[in-house]
Amino acid sequence: MLAGENCLPAKMLLDLSEEHREHLAFLPQVDSAVVAEFGRIAVEFLRRGSNPKIYEGAARKLNVSSDTVQHGVEGLTYLLTESSKLMISELDFQDSVFVLGFSEELNKLLLQLYLDNRREIRTILSELAPDLPSYHSLEWRLDVQLASRSLRQQIKPAVTIKLHLNQNGDHNTKVLQTDPATLLHLVQQLEQALEEMKTNHCRRVVRNIK
Amino acid sequence: MEGASEPLLDAKSGVTNQLIDFQWKLGMAVSSDSCRSLKYPYVAVMLKMADPSGQVKNKSFEMTIPQFQNFYRQFKEIAAVIETV
Repeated sequence: MLAGENCLPAKMLLDLSEEHREHLAFLPQVDSAVVAEFGRIAVEFLRRGSNPKIYEGAARKLNVSSDTVQHGVEGLTYLLTESSKLMISELDFQDSVFVLGFSEELNKLLLQLYLDNRREIRTILSELAPDLPSYHSLEWRLDVQLASRSLRQQIKPAVTIKLHLNQNGDHNTKVLQTDPATLLHLVQQLEQALEEMKTNHCRRVVRNIK
Repeated sequence: MEGASEPLLDAKSGVTNQLIDFQWKLGMAVSSDSCRSLKYPYVAVMLKMADPSGQVKNKSFEMTIPQFQNFYRQFKEIAAVIETV
């Protein structure tokens, strides 16, 4: 495929397992308002984590077991996350849901839930990718070493750096020490890396990904 | 550290870390990102230890001069007590 060539995306249908379909089968048994509410709960759970108490409250109001409610919400959540993850088209979403045999009204509601929430769901899913430690901040100190166990009467300059890193929400630090010449070399290497981004080769690659 | 080879009958070598090396240096901090003009002497200590499984770990820490003087006093006390044992 040549870069930049326009091509139609292949048909992408969701593969819904037997168990998944059973869980979703609860949805046509309740009001659209309830399904919309389940949709809201599903997205909220994706944002902040699930809260089992919500299931119990809903189960009491709907007069069903809290397991049924939980499966319904989880089934809906999975439907939304899988669709968002793959970024399937409207048509493919409709065709995937069609096999469930729901009413036209329910199908439209589910499609709307997908379209309304998929950007945000994709943002949440992007944060789940494994994380390397990343730069948070840096503290530095310029020292002069005056003596050590092996050598007295010195004047040796050194730079001590405390690197603050973030990883998966955790904060940790690394303390490093080097001499000014090595620090200069480090700075030159980093500047060279930044310069690379301006080369024609890099610009071409980035342009084609967009 | 001069090889002070402990006899293998030492009960603790299977339980605690063993000190392999004790390095130190005396430095003076002259400038930092938060304070541009300093005259702050400190003692930096680098310990090399082996855990009960034999894995070697480095641990380093710094002390201000008053902290170091307190540190030194502890060892003087330990030495004094050992004399009486």
